[in-house]
Amino acid sequence: MTETPASVIEVENLVTHYGDREILKGVTLDVRDGEIMVIMGGSGSGKSTLLRHLMALESKTSGTMRILGQDIDHLSQREFFDLRKRMGVAFQGGALFSSMSIGENVMLPLSEHTDLDRTTMEIMTRMKLEVVELGGFEDLMPSELSGGMIKRAAFARAIIMDPKILFCDEPSAGLDPVVASALDDLILLLRDAMQMSIVVVTHELESAFKIADRITILDRGHILMVGTVDEVRTSSNERVYNLLNRVPEDDSIDMDEYLQRLTGVQVNEEAAL
Amino acid sequence: MSDLEQPGAIKRFVERIGRSTLSGVEEIGHGGVLIGESFYWLIYGPRIKQPVRIGSIFQQMMEIGIHAIPIIGLLVAAIGAMLAIQGIHTLRIFGAESRVTIGIAFSVVREFAPLIIGILIAGRSGSALAARIGTMKINQEIDALKVMGVNPVRFLVVPSLIAMVIMVPALTVFGDIVGLVAAGLYVNADLGISMAAFFHDIVDILTVDDILHGLGKSVLFAILIAVIGVVNGAGVEGGADGVGKATTRSVVQAISAIVITDMVFAFVATR
Amino acid sequence: MKHEIREETAGIVVAFEGDVDLQSSPDARKVLLDCVGMGKSVVVDLSKVGYIDSSGVASLVESFQSARKGGRNLVLASVSEGALRVLKLARLDKVFTICDSVEDGLSALG
Repeated sequence: MTETPASVIEVENLVTHYGDREILKGVTLDVRDGEIMVIMGGSGSGKSTLLRHLMALESKTSGTMRILGQDIDHLSQREFFDLRKRMGVAFQGGALFSSMSIGENVMLPLSEHTDLDRTTMEIMTRMKLEVVELGGFEDLMPSELSGGMIKRAAFARAIIMDPKILFCDEPSAGLDPVVASALDDLILLLRDAMQMSIVVVTHELESAFKIADRITILDRGHILMVGTVDEVRTSSNERVYNLLNRVPEDDSIDMDEYLQRLTGVQVNEEAAL
Repeated sequence: MSDLEQPGAIKRFVERIGRSTLSGVEEIGHGGVLIGESFYWLIYGPRIKQPVRIGSIFQQMMEIGIHAIPIIGLLVAAIGAMLAIQGIHTLRIFGAESRVTIGIAFSVVREFAPLIIGILIAGRSGSALAARIGTMKINQEIDALKVMGVNPVRFLVVPSLIAMVIMVPALTVFGDIVGLVAAGLYVNADLGISMAAFFHDIVDILTVDDILHGLGKSVLFAILIAVIGVVNGAGVEGGADGVGKATTRSVVQAISAIVITDMVFAFVATR
Repeated sequence: MKHEIREETAGIVVAFEGDVDLQSSPDARKVLLDCVGMGKSVVVDLSKVGYIDSSGVASLVESFQSARKGGRNLVLASVSEGALRVLKLARLDKVFTICDSVEDGLSALG
């Protein structure tokens, strides 16, 4: 096994655009080995974008990203694939392949990337399904499973290669509280048993406080704060407080900018009254 | 922006033409890149332990080819009989009904079998490909493949492309035979020319070039169908209605591309 | 990954050394199945194994079941804390006999 650095993910000054719009405006962040880092923020804060960049699914405008000590800008295709094998992702909707059974879905990374014996792959698949409490479900198709079960199966697929880093996009979104809480327990279990570093994007406060070692709060493309659960809870930062207590956004407006946005007509500063 | 630049209707119209031309060129570009990438993965994939799976190719071949046999058989038989009916009707004016075989042989093998099969596969499998890839995209399944280190072009596109390139010409050969048999049966019933005599004539008339002409076109059609399906599927934005639109677009574009390519090919090949 | 096999009266002792991961587990599997195939019960000494991943654990499971099928036993000895956590994750600590040392393992074979 390769040596793991103290920080499994190091992002420096990440700037990204979607079309002409700047989404992330200089984000610096590190995820330490074996910790659960929860990324929070309102809609439009850029948290999903940040996650997509951490998973190396988007190309950035500027900044550097090191994953497991490797600068992702300086990797050959082969090295990049090898790096990908050490990262697992549980997507929001599960993203299971609908034409394959649950077992085939979970096994896919193994059958694509390893020369293991078929029996070994099958046992590994069943073991991971047991971990997510879906033992005996391998022959079902994704369409035969409930939303919570699909997410569990997605977790099983994400951890099939024993990844070093696990990314979870909104694990509790759209689930009832009991099922959501069970998924939180699963995330904690994976950190403790497999010593994974886990990055979770969520907007569920309760879930975040339950699982996080550290929380990053994003706001309009900037990092508002990074801290432990207690630090975030007791933060004196007004915007953090507002976010945690769901205080509505400040409703003062910049008249010039707002009118221009509504009408598309710009008024020169000299002409404006 | 100053008041002088109030965009007028003409300007907007020109702008729209410009923009759709550009996006059209861009899509053709995507298609070209896709073909290049497909070759790359086919050849270099195994070297970086990312081979194209034979199993997936066979699965696609079943879906694209074998399952389409009944409907293709029916359509090509109808076309063969139709050509015989029209041919005999037309030639009767000159009292030359018995020469109908020439028309049938050339039309079926050089034109109708590849064209009808291309159009049918575009509607049946090109649309399915666009829908499948579009659905996978909005369900983040494409992203899931990428983060697993599985290249989507290798995993999804190449098997479909190869299956098309094998099955469309294979179906064309099948279509040639069925079309000619159906035409022969009609000719036999109407003019009393025996099937043996009919096929003896066919073999005399047709050269290898004629058959290759049809098959060459069908290979081009296969590539067009696959690439247009994938490009439309990969371009899906939004939700389920995005998939619907992409599916429809892929069928319209594929059929248009097939008909135009057919004309160009016929022109170039007969020079 | 290296391995060493020795035969005791009570059974075969196979000791692995190094990491058992995706690269080495096919070898480990072969060694384990060979040991089981020798017709005696087996003690797997994991004291010198640093890291064992799920593919290694899967090979242990397969060999264990294969031994049981032949009416024999397979026990684990000196399982590291990390390996134990991986076993516990799939509740396999309740399946395998896990002994503190090879000697305990040999006597556990009975």
